[in-house]
Amino acid sequence: MTERHSIVSTRGPQPTATYPHAVVEGGYVWATAQAGRDPSNGEMVEGGLEGQLERAISNLEAILADCGSSLDRVVKTMVMVVGDPQESLIDAVFARRFPNLPARTIFGVAFLAAEPGHEAVQIQLDCVASLA
Amino acid sequence: MKNDDAITIDKAPIPRGPYVHARKHGGLVWVTGQIGRDAKTGDFVKGGFEAEFNQAIDNLEEILKASGSGLDRVVRAQIEFVEEKDLEAMNRIYGERFKEPFPARTSFGVAFLWKGAKVQIDCVAAVDD
Repeated sequence: MTERHSIVSTRGPQPTATYPHAVVEGGYVWATAQAGRDPSNGEMVEGGLEGQLERAISNLEAILADCGSSLDRVVKTMVMVVGDPQESLIDAVFARRFPNLPARTIFGVAFLAAEPGHEAVQIQLDCVASLA
Repeated sequence: MKNDDAITIDKAPIPRGPYVHARKHGGLVWVTGQIGRDAKTGDFVKGGFEAEFNQAIDNLEEILKASGSGLDRVVRAQIEFVEEKDLEAMNRIYGERFKEPFPARTSFGVAFLWKGAKVQIDCVAAVDD
């Protein structure tokens, strides 16, 4: 069993409060929820919900890689959406980005305020991924 | 599933439904969402968001201790809160109560919480088998 460690990746947007990008424990990577922020400047990306979801998944991908895991080892993801659910759009992005479909919980939230520029955050997702 | 993996204690508000305070499995303990209810009276503590959040973390801490874990071994925390204006207080109190190495964290706003709570927190933590 790998000893617990935390990751703040240079390839994900820098955390804005007291949390790392991910914790590795018990054979799993536990990733903090990611929004569609550009890692280079912390700004929300253009492209509406689809652009934000693509970027958020790319942020997770980089964080998982730095932890020794990957998107195809995601066991479970939780997706939080503000406003119009745009289900078919989200499903299309998921099908394209997750070659190995994870268990998924998705729901609408009242607001997503955990990141700066939060008025523009439409979606965020976190995940648990295996190391093996 | 062995039933002795389940943990329910009297130092946190007793469950008011068909759930336990926590279950242990595979070196991890999975803790039920805690709100700012006093363990003895079951009533919400007075003092608004900050008091409720501190009490919820107190409850979480007692459950973790009874499970052979602790706040310093939390792997992932999830926080739900009702009013966006409480974001700053949430981040501040969280930063006071949790120490490095901090857990992974997901937080979001919800339409309502059980019994009118302002904030709720659950977690997964490491535990010795």
